[in-house]
Amino acid sequence: MNAPLPMFVAIPLVAAFVLPVLKGGLKPVATLLANLVTLTLLALAVMSVGKTGTYAMGNWTIPLGINLVLDGLSSLLLLAIGVISAAAMLFSVRYMEQYTAKPKYFSLFLLMVAGMNGVVLSGDIFNLYVFLEIASIASYALVGFGGEHEELEASFKYMVLGSVASALVLFGVALVYANTGSLNMAQISATIRQIGMNIGLAFALSLFVAGFGLKAALVPFHAWLPDAHPSAPAPISAMLSGVLIKALGVYVLARLIFTVFGVSVPVAWVLIALGVSSMVIGVFLAVGQWDFKRLLAYHSISQMGYVVLGVGLGALILAREGDPLWASLAILGGLFHLLNHAVFKSLLFLASGSVEMATGTRQLKKMGGLVERMPYTRATCAIASASIAGVPPFNGFWSKLILVLAAVQAGFYLLAAVTVIVSLVTLLSFLKVQRYVFLGQLPEDLERTQENGGFMLGAMAFLAVLCLAMSLLVLLPGLRETVLQPAVDVLVQAGTAPAAVVAH
Amino acid sequence: MDTILLYPVIVPLAVGFVMLFLPRSLGRLSQVVALMVSVAALVFSIRIFRLDEGAYTWTVLALDAFTLDLLLTTQPLGSFILMFAMGFGVLITLYSFKSSASVRRINEYYGSILLAIGGSAGILLCDHLLFLLIFWEIVTAALYLLISTGGKDSNFAATKSFAMIGASDASFLLGAAMVWALSGTFVISQISLATTSALPVIAFLLLMLAAITKAGAMPLHTWLPTGGEYAPTSVMALLPAALDKLLGIYLLIVITRGMFVLKSGGALSLVLAIIGVATIVIAVMIAMVQHNLKRLLSYHAISQVGYMILGIATMTPIGIAGGVFHMLNHAIYKSCLFLCGGAVEDATGTAELEELGGLGKRMPLTFVACLIAALSISGIPPLNGFASKWMVYHGVVEMGRTQTGAAGVMWPLWLLGAMFGSALTLASFVKILHSIFLSRVPDRLRETKEASGLQTAPMLVLAFLCVFFGVFYRVPLRQFILPALGAAEETEAALGSWNAILATALLLIGIGVGAIVLFVSAFAKQVRSVPTWACGETQANDDMIIPGTHFYKTVSSMKGLKQLYSVQRRGHFDLYDQSGRAGLALTGLLRWLHNGVLPVYLTWVVLGLLLVLLMLCNIW
Repeated sequence: MNAPLPMFVAIPLVAAFVLPVLKGGLKPVATLLANLVTLTLLALAVMSVGKTGTYAMGNWTIPLGINLVLDGLSSLLLLAIGVISAAAMLFSVRYMEQYTAKPKYFSLFLLMVAGMNGVVLSGDIFNLYVFLEIASIASYALVGFGGEHEELEASFKYMVLGSVASALVLFGVALVYANTGSLNMAQISATIRQIGMNIGLAFALSLFVAGFGLKAALVPFHAWLPDAHPSAPAPISAMLSGVLIKALGVYVLARLIFTVFGVSVPVAWVLIALGVSSMVIGVFLAVGQWDFKRLLAYHSISQMGYVVLGVGLGALILAREGDPLWASLAILGGLFHLLNHAVFKSLLFLASGSVEMATGTRQLKKMGGLVERMPYTRATCAIASASIAGVPPFNGFWSKLILVLAAVQAGFYLLAAVTVIVSLVTLLSFLKVQRYVFLGQLPEDLERTQENGGFMLGAMAFLAVLCLAMSLLVLLPGLRETVLQPAVDVLVQAGTAPAAVVAH
Repeated sequence: MDTILLYPVIVPLAVGFVMLFLPRSLGRLSQVVALMVSVAALVFSIRIFRLDEGAYTWTVLALDAFTLDLLLTTQPLGSFILMFAMGFGVLITLYSFKSSASVRRINEYYGSILLAIGGSAGILLCDHLLFLLIFWEIVTAALYLLISTGGKDSNFAATKSFAMIGASDASFLLGAAMVWALSGTFVISQISLATTSALPVIAFLLLMLAAITKAGAMPLHTWLPTGGEYAPTSVMALLPAALDKLLGIYLLIVITRGMFVLKSGGALSLVLAIIGVATIVIAVMIAMVQHNLKRLLSYHAISQVGYMILGIATMTPIGIAGGVFHMLNHAIYKSCLFLCGGAVEDATGTAELEELGGLGKRMPLTFVACLIAALSISGIPPLNGFASKWMVYHGVVEMGRTQTGAAGVMWPLWLLGAMFGSALTLASFVKILHSIFLSRVPDRLRETKEASGLQTAPMLVLAFLCVFFGVFYRVPLRQFILPALGAAEETEAALGSWNAILATALLLIGIGVGAIVLFVSAFAKQVRSVPTWACGETQANDDMIIPGTHFYKTVSSMKGLKQLYSVQRRGHFDLYDQSGRAGLALTGLLRWLHNGVLPVYLTWVVLGLLLVLLMLCNIW
């Protein structure tokens, strides 16, 4: 069955160029149209679940043309992008009233979505680079969208570091082309398995790890994120932390390492080291923060560490030719956490936006007692906090549980202990959020605070329900087999049986 | 498939969860529904207790690597504790109807109570380690929500409680995962690990930490007094005083007697005995010098756990039975004490002992309930606290007689510590009774009224149970505890040395004779009662009050102890404070590294790239 693959890129791309035209009285039309686009993409993503397919652009044959490939892993990411962008767009309807130039915002938003969809679908590494740049440049602009001093500074830092990453990636692409004579992932993979790794390819792999590691904000490549994510408008923070660092960073890393270059022990250890350092350093930076959104941003670093640790653990088990059962458990934990993090972190950023809009501040110490004034925002934020802290029965608990069990079963007791301790510190920092924002004394100047209803609440409630319902993704065998397991299988099979990946 | 096992777990959890999100206008409805659900859970639990054998399995997660079954079974120990836990749930829900604490955020309050009830039922029925963990954390989260419904500063107390119990939950998760890796199964009744090598011992210690933290023993005990001071008293009576003790000690028994094979008198039972006795003595020493009623009671809630742990550490049938019996008794009298404290606080608006006094005549029912519970916790025969402490002492002596390990040899030390603790407990309750109910009434409290019937009824029920379980202590032992532990004969024999009914009869006769003497002498001699003559000066009533808070000033100003007390007050012995400081230092260092200068960040990227290059290119 041929899924409508080009549509994932074409619809938002076309819409992005139409929207800025709708000025003045047509603004509501722009809003409606933008929401329609994200909802359509969500519907397409849901329909593409469980399917595979390829699409050759312009019917060019492979070495000449470029192709789009859909498999379990990419449809998992498409789903995450679809859900989060739909929720963030809905939230923007009211939230972005504070800013001018709403149609431009929608246009940049959709460009970013088009870029991300392109990255996860692309079967060609140069094409992947192009989409990566589309998404990145749109995100630089969005981070600085407020136009204030702090936002522009953050955007500039993000742009400089992001360009370094892009340069590294481009250099890597060139090296790969020089050594294998192809840009198509399947062909590169086949060539590498034939000729083996040489120093040029290893150098290219290192560049990719650093470049995409920077996009994924893994320690030590993370320094841009704590400035950039809090400065963006709340729905964009949700998009950046929720899906951008995954689609542009972790997804590509996993795709390149597992299916293109093939897993090996050193690269698996690199992943584990990146994962553990991100988890630990990110969470300790987060727990001392007093800026609500900055705290959340540091947690994104820490939580991406979990994902990379899970994937790295799987890679290590596969590279050592251990039991694929445990490898698949570790990867399942990692990928499920990726999906979960997309939902609960976006929700947390939306809730922080709602609080900021109502109170005019992001400083935890200036708030308090908002449970009385904003009960629904509090309820959604509490659910997301419980999810990220791994409180059962919310989704974060299950993915962390699976990760810990996989680590213990593979014999890495120390890694399991680190995972659990980081989870505990995460809990502490969200207890802090609850304590200072929602519990305690209501300061006098906040007594007139109003709850944000309507679209904003709708978007948050949607994600909050998902936080609970997504547990079913792993619990219900039917859902697990169609959504998560194919993605896991893509990586596990690529790690165990090299031939399988070349099929598409 | 006995689906009845599912009901006391699922119904409160589902209803409670929904209740959390209801708007405030539906508060009354929540109250009524909560009472109905808690009564229903009690009814279910009684039926489960009378069920001979039951099991219910529901495979929730079936991966290739492991399966997660909701495996509920009736174990004798679990289902007997379940019945009492559900009973406490009903009593506290009833009490909360009139308690001022539950007015703010009413839906969250009752929803969380139901979550606590359902979670506890899950823990006590569950035979699968991972599900046990899930229910365990649900109870932790419920405690957090409940404490946070308290007044000012309760947000701090709630955070601290969740943080510390959360830490122990984390160690539970790690321990459970290790047990799984070592034994290959999560089903508790199939696990039996020898504690001869390092890994099982670590797993045991991790699980033990979870159990004793929930129960409130040292070293992770400091959440309890902080919570006690700021949380609503009804919450303290339900969770830390009753349910958390039942659950923590239940888990401790499950791991010491089922999942792990401990060498009796070995190193692990020495660890338990040290924790037990240290908890008894240190906590009661701190309790003695407290001036806040709720804080004082909380320290006693810590101290009493020591007896339960010591009983289990003896590894003798009578000691363990004593520990379990003490757990039950403690839940009864400590719940009662907290409820009395709550009634006093509701009536007077304060829990500071210095501001109270002379309420005995104004709140007679509360006084009677509090007196009985206080005597019971101090181990005065023939009340229930005595019966179980007596059994624990018996167990300690028995351990010294039969075991040759380090823990057995040191039995006089344990016995001394336990008895010393009991004496100090009595001392500090003398202070409480004096400060609240006796002494003179401060002017401010002259108009104080007795608490409402909905509040006194649960207290009196619990006080009655204190007397009943003390005088007829064989009833609960024969009915519930001995069969649950499967250690009937030998323990029964040991019990013969204490005849509570005879002692009670003698006591009553003694009291009767005393009453007659008093009565007769009152008639025999006319006594004139006049105000004290103070050289014509009139003394203000409040100046004449002798506060009970001065009783043990000599202890707190003793050399050596004084310094320890002041260090303790500043929180230097509090692991929460200490690890908080360490964490902040680490955060400070990391923040110093993140100075916001772009070239520095670029340097990191380059260094990171070099490291990756080194790892990836050198090796190929």
